[in-house]
Amino acid sequence: MSGEEEENAAELKIGDEFLKAKCLMNCEVSLILDHKLEQLQAMSDDPSNQVSQVFEKSLQYVKRFSRYKNPDAVRQVREYPQLLSRHQLAEFELCVLGNLCPETVEEAIAMVPSIKSRGRGHDDEAIEKMLNDMSLIKKFE
Amino acid sequence: MFLKVQLNWNVVIPAENLDIKGLMLQKAILVRLLDDFSAKKATKDLGYLLAVTTLDKIGEGKVREHSGDVLFPLSFTCLSFKIFRGEVVEGIVHKILKHGVFMRCGPIENLYLSNQKMSDYQYQIADNPCFLNIKTGSRIEKDMTLRCIVIGVKYMEAQKEFQAVVGLEGDYLGPV
Repeated sequence: MSGEEEENAAELKIGDEFLKAKCLMNCEVSLILDHKLEQLQAMSDDPSNQVSQVFEKSLQYVKRFSRYKNPDAVRQVREYPQLLSRHQLAEFELCVLGNLCPETVEEAIAMVPSIKSRGRGHDDEAIEKMLNDMSLIKKFE
Repeated sequence: MFLKVQLNWNVVIPAENLDIKGLMLQKAILVRLLDDFSAKKATKDLGYLLAVTTLDKIGEGKVREHSGDVLFPLSFTCLSFKIFRGEVVEGIVHKILKHGVFMRCGPIENLYLSNQKMSDYQYQIADNPCFLNIKTGSRIEKDMTLRCIVIGVKYMEAQKEFQAVVGLEGDYLGPV
Protein backbone atom coordinates (compact mmCIF):
# COMPACT_ATOMS: atom_id res chain seq x y z
CA MET A 1 0.00 0.00 0.00
CA SER A 2 1.43 3.36 -0.93
CA GLY A 3 1.10 5.47 2.19
CA GLU A 4 -1.60 4.72 4.68
CA GLU A 5 -3.26 8.09 4.39
CA GLU A 6 -4.48 7.19 0.95
CA GLU A 7 -6.68 4.30 1.97
CA ASN A 8 -10.19 5.15 0.89
CA ALA A 9 -12.77 2.53 0.08
CA ALA A 10 -14.99 5.08 -1.64
CA GLU A 11 -12.41 5.35 -4.40
CA LEU A 12 -11.56 1.67 -4.20
CA LYS A 13 -8.19 2.47 -2.65
CA ILE A 14 -7.99 -0.29 -0.13
CA GLY A 15 -4.46 -1.51 -0.53
CA ASP A 16 -3.32 -3.89 -3.22
CA GLU A 17 -3.29 -6.92 -0.99
CA PHE A 18 -7.04 -6.58 -0.49
CA LEU A 19 -7.89 -6.10 -4.11
CA LYS A 20 -6.27 -9.50 -4.52
CA ALA A 21 -7.59 -11.04 -1.32
CA LYS A 22 -11.10 -12.31 -1.71
CA CYS A 23 -13.81 -10.16 -0.20
CA LEU A 24 -16.78 -12.03 1.22
CA MET A 25 -20.38 -10.99 1.71
CA ASN A 26 -22.03 -11.31 5.10
CA CYS A 27 -24.23 -14.12 3.79
CA GLU A 28 -21.19 -16.12 2.65
CA VAL A 29 -19.46 -15.65 5.97
CA SER A 30 -22.61 -16.76 7.73
CA LEU A 31 -22.64 -20.05 5.80
CA ILE A 32 -18.95 -20.68 6.46
CA LEU A 33 -19.03 -19.85 10.17
CA ASP A 34 -22.16 -21.92 10.72
CA HIS A 35 -20.49 -24.89 9.14
CA LYS A 36 -17.33 -24.27 11.14
CA LEU A 37 -19.29 -24.10 14.38
CA GLU A 38 -20.95 -27.44 13.67
CA GLN A 39 -17.55 -28.95 12.94
CA LEU A 40 -16.05 -27.62 16.15
CA GLN A 41 -18.95 -28.82 18.24
CA ALA A 42 -18.81 -32.26 16.71
CA MET A 43 -15.06 -32.48 17.22
CA SER A 44 -14.72 -31.51 20.85
CA ASP A 45 -16.67 -32.75 23.81
CA ASP A 46 -14.61 -30.47 25.98
CA PRO A 47 -16.78 -27.50 27.03
CA SER A 48 -13.71 -25.38 27.76
CA ASN A 49 -12.81 -25.55 24.08
CA GLN A 50 -15.22 -22.81 23.07
CA VAL A 51 -15.02 -20.57 20.05
CA SER A 52 -13.24 -17.25 20.36
CA GLN A 53 -15.06 -14.01 21.11
CA VAL A 54 -14.13 -12.67 17.70
CA PHE A 55 -15.81 -15.70 16.12
CA GLU A 56 -18.89 -15.42 18.31
CA LYS A 57 -19.43 -11.71 17.67
CA SER A 58 -18.89 -12.09 13.94
CA LEU A 59 -21.37 -14.93 13.73
CA GLN A 60 -24.03 -12.89 15.54
CA TYR A 61 -23.38 -9.98 13.24
CA VAL A 62 -23.57 -11.87 9.96
CA LYS A 63 -26.71 -13.69 11.08
CA ARG A 64 -28.39 -10.35 11.56
CA PHE A 65 -27.06 -8.78 8.38
CA SER A 66 -27.31 -11.57 5.81
CA ARG A 67 -29.51 -10.49 2.94
CA TYR A 68 -29.49 -13.83 1.18
CA LYS A 69 -30.17 -16.93 3.27
CA ASN A 70 -30.33 -19.73 0.78
CA PRO A 71 -26.91 -21.13 -0.26
CA ASP A 72 -27.97 -21.27 -3.91
CA ALA A 73 -28.92 -17.62 -3.93
CA VAL A 74 -25.61 -16.74 -2.29
CA ARG A 75 -23.77 -18.57 -5.03
CA GLN A 76 -25.78 -16.86 -7.75
CA VAL A 77 -24.89 -13.42 -6.40
CA ARG A 78 -21.24 -14.40 -6.16
CA GLU A 79 -21.17 -15.62 -9.75
CA TYR A 80 -23.20 -12.72 -11.05
CA PRO A 81 -20.36 -10.46 -12.28
CA GLN A 82 -19.00 -13.28 -14.42
CA LEU A 83 -22.32 -13.68 -16.20
CA LEU A 84 -22.26 -10.13 -17.45
CA SER A 85 -18.76 -9.22 -18.39
CA ARG A 86 -19.74 -5.66 -19.15
CA HIS A 87 -20.75 -5.20 -15.54
CA GLN A 88 -17.17 -5.39 -14.40
CA LEU A 89 -17.34 -5.19 -10.65
CA ALA A 90 -14.45 -5.34 -8.21
CA GLU A 91 -15.02 -7.92 -5.51
CA PHE A 92 -15.15 -5.23 -2.93
CA GLU A 93 -17.93 -3.44 -4.81
CA LEU A 94 -19.95 -6.59 -5.33
CA CYS A 95 -19.76 -7.38 -1.63
CA VAL A 96 -20.85 -3.92 -0.53
CA LEU A 97 -23.82 -4.14 -2.92
CA GLY A 98 -24.62 -7.66 -1.71
CA ASN A 99 -24.44 -6.58 1.93
CA LEU A 100 -26.46 -3.40 1.71
CA CYS A 101 -28.83 -4.25 -1.17
CA PRO A 102 -29.50 -0.70 -2.34
CA GLU A 103 -32.83 -0.27 -4.13
CA THR A 104 -32.19 2.67 -6.41
CA VAL A 105 -29.34 3.71 -8.67
CA GLU A 106 -28.78 6.83 -6.61
CA GLU A 107 -28.53 4.80 -3.43
CA ALA A 108 -26.12 2.33 -5.03
CA ILE A 109 -23.82 5.16 -6.10
CA ALA A 110 -23.96 6.67 -2.62
CA MET A 111 -22.95 3.30 -1.11
CA VAL A 112 -20.25 2.46 -3.69
CA PRO A 113 -19.11 5.72 -5.33
CA SER A 114 -16.37 3.88 -7.21
CA ILE A 115 -18.83 2.08 -9.53
CA LYS A 116 -19.58 5.42 -11.12
CA SER A 117 -16.22 7.10 -10.97
CA ARG A 118 -13.63 4.64 -12.13
CA GLY A 119 -14.30 5.51 -15.73
CA ARG A 120 -15.69 2.08 -16.54
CA GLY A 121 -18.69 3.49 -18.27
CA HIS A 122 -21.32 2.22 -15.89
CA ASP A 123 -24.20 4.41 -16.88
CA ASP A 124 -27.31 4.63 -14.75
CA GLU A 125 -29.10 2.12 -16.93
CA ALA A 126 -26.41 -0.52 -16.47
CA ILE A 127 -26.41 0.00 -12.73
CA GLU A 128 -30.18 -0.27 -12.60
CA LYS A 129 -30.09 -3.53 -14.52
CA MET A 130 -27.52 -4.80 -12.05
CA LEU A 131 -29.68 -3.92 -9.05
CA ASN A 132 -32.74 -5.48 -10.64
CA ASP A 133 -30.92 -8.72 -11.34
CA MET A 134 -29.66 -8.88 -7.79
CA SER A 135 -33.06 -8.25 -6.28
CA LEU A 136 -34.54 -10.93 -8.54
CA ILE A 137 -32.14 -13.45 -7.07
CA LYS A 138 -33.38 -12.46 -3.65
CA LYS A 139 -37.01 -12.68 -4.66
CA PHE A 140 -36.68 -16.21 -5.99
CA GLU A 141 -34.57 -17.71 -3.25
CA MET B 1 -15.66 -6.16 5.05
CA PHE B 2 -14.98 -9.84 5.56
CA LEU B 3 -11.93 -11.15 3.72
CA LYS B 4 -10.58 -14.54 2.76
CA VAL B 5 -6.79 -14.55 2.94
CA GLN B 6 -4.06 -17.10 2.43
CA LEU B 7 -1.28 -16.93 5.01
CA ASN B 8 2.08 -18.57 5.59
CA TRP B 9 2.96 -19.19 9.21
CA ASN B 10 5.39 -21.41 11.04
CA VAL B 11 4.36 -23.60 13.94
CA VAL B 12 6.66 -25.23 16.46
CA ILE B 13 5.86 -28.73 17.65
CA PRO B 14 7.57 -29.74 20.91
CA ALA B 15 9.66 -32.87 20.62
CA GLU B 16 7.40 -34.87 22.95
CA ASN B 17 4.44 -34.44 20.57
CA LEU B 18 6.28 -36.12 17.74
CA ASP B 19 5.01 -39.58 17.08
CA ILE B 20 5.92 -42.41 14.77
CA LYS B 21 2.39 -42.52 13.45
CA GLY B 22 2.00 -39.68 10.96
CA LEU B 23 -1.62 -38.99 11.78
CA MET B 24 -0.89 -37.86 15.32
CA LEU B 25 1.68 -35.45 14.01
CA GLN B 26 -0.78 -33.89 11.59
CA LYS B 27 -3.26 -33.49 14.38
CA ALA B 28 -0.64 -31.90 16.62
CA ILE B 29 0.22 -29.43 13.85
CA LEU B 30 -3.41 -28.52 13.26
CA VAL B 31 -4.16 -28.09 16.96
CA ARG B 32 -1.06 -25.93 17.32
CA LEU B 33 -2.09 -23.76 14.36
CA LEU B 34 -5.61 -23.28 15.72
CA ASP B 35 -4.22 -22.32 19.13
CA ASP B 36 -1.73 -19.86 17.67
CA PHE B 37 -4.42 -18.46 15.41
CA SER B 38 -6.93 -17.72 18.15
CA ALA B 39 -4.19 -16.33 20.40
CA LYS B 40 -3.20 -13.89 17.67
CA LYS B 41 -6.72 -12.38 17.58
CA ALA B 42 -5.96 -9.51 15.20
CA THR B 43 -3.25 -7.86 13.11
CA LYS B 44 -2.99 -4.35 11.79
CA ASP B 45 -3.01 -5.38 8.14
CA LEU B 46 -5.59 -8.15 8.15
CA GLY B 47 -7.94 -7.00 10.88
CA TYR B 48 -9.61 -9.46 13.21
CA LEU B 49 -8.79 -13.12 12.59
CA LEU B 50 -11.98 -15.17 12.61
CA ALA B 51 -11.40 -18.74 11.61
CA VAL B 52 -9.09 -21.04 9.70
CA THR B 53 -11.00 -22.52 6.80
CA THR B 54 -8.44 -24.83 5.18
CA LEU B 55 -4.92 -26.01 5.89
CA ASP B 56 -3.45 -25.99 2.41
CA LYS B 57 0.12 -27.16 2.80
CA ILE B 58 2.45 -28.49 5.48
CA GLY B 59 6.08 -27.95 4.51
CA GLU B 60 9.18 -29.86 5.42
CA GLY B 61 9.89 -29.78 9.18
CA LYS B 62 13.15 -28.39 10.51
CA VAL B 63 14.64 -29.55 13.79
CA ARG B 64 15.70 -26.80 16.14
CA GLU B 65 19.14 -27.39 17.46
CA HIS B 66 18.93 -26.87 21.20
CA SER B 67 15.39 -27.90 22.12
CA GLY B 68 14.79 -30.64 19.58
CA ASP B 69 11.45 -29.04 18.72
CA VAL B 70 10.41 -29.12 15.10
CA LEU B 71 9.35 -26.11 13.11
CA PHE B 72 6.88 -26.58 10.25
CA PRO B 73 6.09 -23.95 7.63
CA LEU B 74 2.36 -23.95 6.89
CA SER B 75 0.16 -22.35 4.34
CA PHE B 76 -3.53 -22.00 5.16
CA THR B 77 -6.63 -19.99 4.31
CA CYS B 78 -8.60 -18.01 6.86
CA LEU B 79 -11.34 -15.44 7.27
CA SER B 80 -10.70 -11.99 8.63
CA PHE B 81 -12.69 -8.82 9.19
CA LYS B 82 -11.29 -5.41 8.41
CA ILE B 83 -12.97 -2.06 8.22
CA PHE B 84 -11.86 0.50 5.63
CA ARG B 85 -11.99 4.26 5.55
CA GLY B 86 -14.72 5.32 3.13
CA GLU B 87 -16.62 2.04 3.48
CA VAL B 88 -20.35 2.13 4.22
CA VAL B 89 -21.23 -0.28 7.02
CA GLU B 90 -24.20 -1.24 9.14
CA GLY B 91 -23.79 -1.33 12.90
CA ILE B 92 -25.94 -1.97 15.94
CA VAL B 93 -26.22 0.81 18.52
CA HIS B 94 -25.25 -0.44 21.99
CA LYS B 95 -24.62 2.70 23.99
CA ILE B 96 -26.05 6.23 23.85
CA LEU B 97 -24.22 9.10 25.50
CA LYS B 98 -24.74 12.82 25.39
CA HIS B 99 -21.81 13.36 23.05
CA GLY B 100 -22.52 10.49 20.68
CA VAL B 101 -23.35 6.82 20.26
CA PHE B 102 -21.32 3.61 20.20
CA MET B 103 -22.06 0.84 17.73
CA ARG B 104 -21.03 -2.74 17.21
CA CYS B 105 -20.05 -4.01 13.78
CA GLY B 106 -18.90 -7.59 13.44
CA PRO B 107 -16.11 -8.19 15.95
CA ILE B 108 -15.57 -4.45 16.38
CA GLU B 109 -17.08 -3.28 19.68
CA ASN B 110 -16.55 0.45 19.31
CA LEU B 111 -17.68 2.34 16.26
CA TYR B 112 -18.08 5.87 17.52
CA LEU B 113 -20.58 8.29 16.01
CA SER B 114 -20.04 11.74 17.50
CA ASN B 115 -22.95 14.15 17.82
CA GLN B 116 -20.91 16.52 15.67
CA LYS B 117 -21.16 14.04 12.82
CA MET B 118 -24.95 13.91 12.98
CA SER B 119 -25.86 17.57 13.20
CA ASP B 120 -29.54 16.93 12.36
CA TYR B 121 -30.00 14.87 15.50
CA GLN B 122 -30.42 16.24 19.04
CA TYR B 123 -29.78 14.35 22.26
CA GLN B 124 -32.94 13.72 24.29
CA ILE B 125 -32.79 13.19 28.04
CA ALA B 126 -35.19 10.44 29.05
CA ASP B 127 -35.29 7.03 30.72
CA ASN B 128 -34.24 5.64 27.39
CA PRO B 129 -31.94 8.31 26.02
CA CYS B 130 -31.99 8.74 22.28
CA PHE B 131 -31.05 11.11 19.47
CA LEU B 132 -33.99 12.72 17.68
CA ASN B 133 -34.20 14.47 14.33
CA ILE B 134 -36.84 17.11 14.98
CA LYS B 135 -37.54 17.74 11.30
CA THR B 136 -38.15 14.17 10.22
CA GLY B 137 -39.01 12.53 13.56
CA SER B 138 -36.34 9.90 12.94
CA ARG B 139 -34.78 8.49 16.12
CA ILE B 140 -31.55 6.74 17.05
CA GLU B 141 -32.11 4.34 19.93
CA LYS B 142 -30.37 1.42 21.55
CA ASP B 143 -30.31 -1.89 19.61
CA MET B 144 -31.16 -0.16 16.39
CA THR B 145 -29.34 -0.61 13.07
CA LEU B 146 -27.55 2.41 11.63
CA ARG B 147 -25.97 2.71 8.23
CA CYS B 148 -22.92 4.95 8.37
CA ILE B 149 -19.69 5.81 6.60
CA VAL B 150 -16.26 5.10 8.11
CA ILE B 151 -14.22 8.27 8.61
CA GLY B 152 -11.18 6.90 10.40
CA VAL B 153 -9.86 3.62 11.77
CA LYS B 154 -7.41 3.05 14.59
CA TYR B 155 -5.66 -0.14 15.65
CA MET B 156 -4.56 -0.49 19.23
CA GLU B 157 -1.61 -2.82 19.27
CA ALA B 158 -1.63 -3.55 23.01
CA GLN B 159 -5.27 -4.62 23.21
CA LYS B 160 -5.37 -5.93 19.64
CA GLU B 161 -8.60 -4.08 19.04
CA PHE B 162 -9.81 -1.81 16.27
CA GLN B 163 -11.81 1.35 16.83
CA ALA B 164 -13.42 3.49 14.18
CA VAL B 165 -15.01 6.91 13.90
CA VAL B 166 -18.08 6.98 11.66
CA GLY B 167 -20.41 9.65 10.34
CA LEU B 168 -23.95 10.06 9.04
CA GLU B 169 -23.19 12.90 6.66
CA GLY B 170 -24.02 11.58 3.23
CA ASP B 171 -26.95 10.33 1.20
CA TYR B 172 -28.86 7.26 2.31
CA LEU B 173 -27.13 7.06 5.69
CA GLY B 174 -28.92 6.80 9.03
CA PRO B 175 -31.34 4.44 10.76
CA VAL B 176 -32.33 1.46 8.63
